[in-house]
Amino acid sequence: MTYLLQQLLTEAAAQHPQRPAISASNCLVSYSELDRISNQIARSLLHLGVAPGDRVAVLAPKSAAAVAGLYGVLKAGACYVPLDPKAPAQRLGYVVQDCGATVIVTDETRAAQAAALAGSLPGPGSVLVVSFTGSSPVAEESPEPLTGDRAIETDLAYILYTSGSTGLPKGVMISHRNSLTFVDWAAAAAGLSETDRICSPAPLHFDLSVFDVFATCRAAGCLAILPEGAATFPVSIAKWLTSERISVWYSVPSVLTLLASYGSLGQCDLSQLRTVIFAGEVFPPKHLAQLMAELPHPRYLNWYGPTETNVCTAFEVPPGSAEAGPAPIGKACANTEVFAVTSEGHRVSRPGEIGELYVRGPSLMRGYWGQPAKTREALIPSPFRPECEELVYRTGDLVTLDPSGNYLYVGRRDSMVKIRGYRVELGEVEAALYRHPAIREAAVLPVPDELLGSRLRAVVTADDAASLARQSVLDHCRQWLPSYMVPDVVEIREALPRTSTGKVDRAGLASE
Amino acid sequence: METVINEYISQELVRDPGLLPLADDTSLLESGILDSLSLLQLVVFLEERFGITVGDQDLLPENFASVTTICAYLRTREPQKQAAHG
Repeated sequence: MTYLLQQLLTEAAAQHPQRPAISASNCLVSYSELDRISNQIARSLLHLGVAPGDRVAVLAPKSAAAVAGLYGVLKAGACYVPLDPKAPAQRLGYVVQDCGATVIVTDETRAAQAAALAGSLPGPGSVLVVSFTGSSPVAEESPEPLTGDRAIETDLAYILYTSGSTGLPKGVMISHRNSLTFVDWAAAAAGLSETDRICSPAPLHFDLSVFDVFATCRAAGCLAILPEGAATFPVSIAKWLTSERISVWYSVPSVLTLLASYGSLGQCDLSQLRTVIFAGEVFPPKHLAQLMAELPHPRYLNWYGPTETNVCTAFEVPPGSAEAGPAPIGKACANTEVFAVTSEGHRVSRPGEIGELYVRGPSLMRGYWGQPAKTREALIPSPFRPECEELVYRTGDLVTLDPSGNYLYVGRRDSMVKIRGYRVELGEVEAALYRHPAIREAAVLPVPDELLGSRLRAVVTADDAASLARQSVLDHCRQWLPSYMVPDVVEIREALPRTSTGKVDRAGLASE
Repeated sequence: METVINEYISQELVRDPGLLPLADDTSLLESGILDSLSLLQLVVFLEERFGITVGDQDLLPENFASVTTICAYLRTREPQKQAAHG
């Protein structure tokens, strides 16, 4: 019985040893090879002193070496913490310190960056470079399976860092059981089999990648990795999808919008593509309709769920329905209950009522790493069954119902926005601005953008506004924030407008 | 033309100050300056500034590898533009 993520790999390797597990540029890895090299990585980690429950950072783009690294960490009984290789060093330094990582696993492309970051690790930090082609200390270890149990299903499998409203990223703790609840459901919902070739361009620190890394393995399918260069050019993505015969695709809507608008899809033979899944933000109906018109044959699935819950609702978009309005987020996944609570505390039960979406089930996170107070705000007793020991998650997302009982996303309760599917807390951007020595006040406002979801507009004041340069503000932000969180527009003023109660008048700023 | 494009990319698209000043032959792809969205931003700028239309099939790594290759691509487009107007 599978109760740990790494058992998916052991089973796939036992049943389909020669089938391709990973197809990357110039590199094809079978299940047998992936199983054996991840055993070697696990042994290397044990020699570096990694113990069950330890956190191991993984700093790499999605690559065969990185995926092997994830399994190696799990087989060592540890928990992996995927880092965004493109994030500024200050932010990465904070994450590795916050989670108390002892080792950084990386591939050849990021070895120098990992070595520089190792100085931020608490204690004597080590770096383990995984390579399928060059020489690596990993290759000297035995590839045989490790003996003994190092984890149980409630232990942490990974921690995903996401934007935090107080100015620092927070770590969402996901156990093996949390993740497998999603993985089992997802593999069934997408009908994955060993003949599928599955791709998601989402990087490892983004929760969408749990699907292509683990659900693919559950089905013994092939994880195809989109080369970084191809991902920039819509026509290159379309050609790559054709030549790689991708059958299942999973991404944020903005990538699909680009493909539909600029990919020349009509000139490609995408007959192998049977399922297109999107999640992370609202798909603009016009562009979804355009995509479904250009590629009418695949199934289109809208999945919804914050990192804290994994995917918790799903909806299959019927042909011809996209133009009518945003696709519903649908109904609850297997083993999951979702319900919405109005501001008066009643359960949303009919179309038109709006409430905050709550989620209950085994896919819910264990909490935020090192932040029990924040965890207690997010995971609370059910408002309708307070005597029940099991907690529910408050998503902060406002929803309503359609006549068929599907939930429809309406908006946010707080000041979180989505940019290219990434969560951005406006408060985190403001906190970064306040670290600038010359800035006195800062307000960050979302500007709706059809392609990105939102753009960010920062309005700041300074004691000497005339001498504060926009470029200085941007350069400062880039030291602290990943690129999708850096404001697109910076306005420097003498003062911010105020409401009658003295608060910053955000509504007034937004309507300017 | 090189100066105009270099200035636009340096001011609007470069997110890492360590990459400045930008050389005309710096790889815009390996350095991470261009991604799928900044590419489109650049295309909109080029179309407006130089009065051309960039076709989907021209959105290729070889055309957008560096400031130098972007200029080379634009120069191949200019005769077409004149032909269209002539």
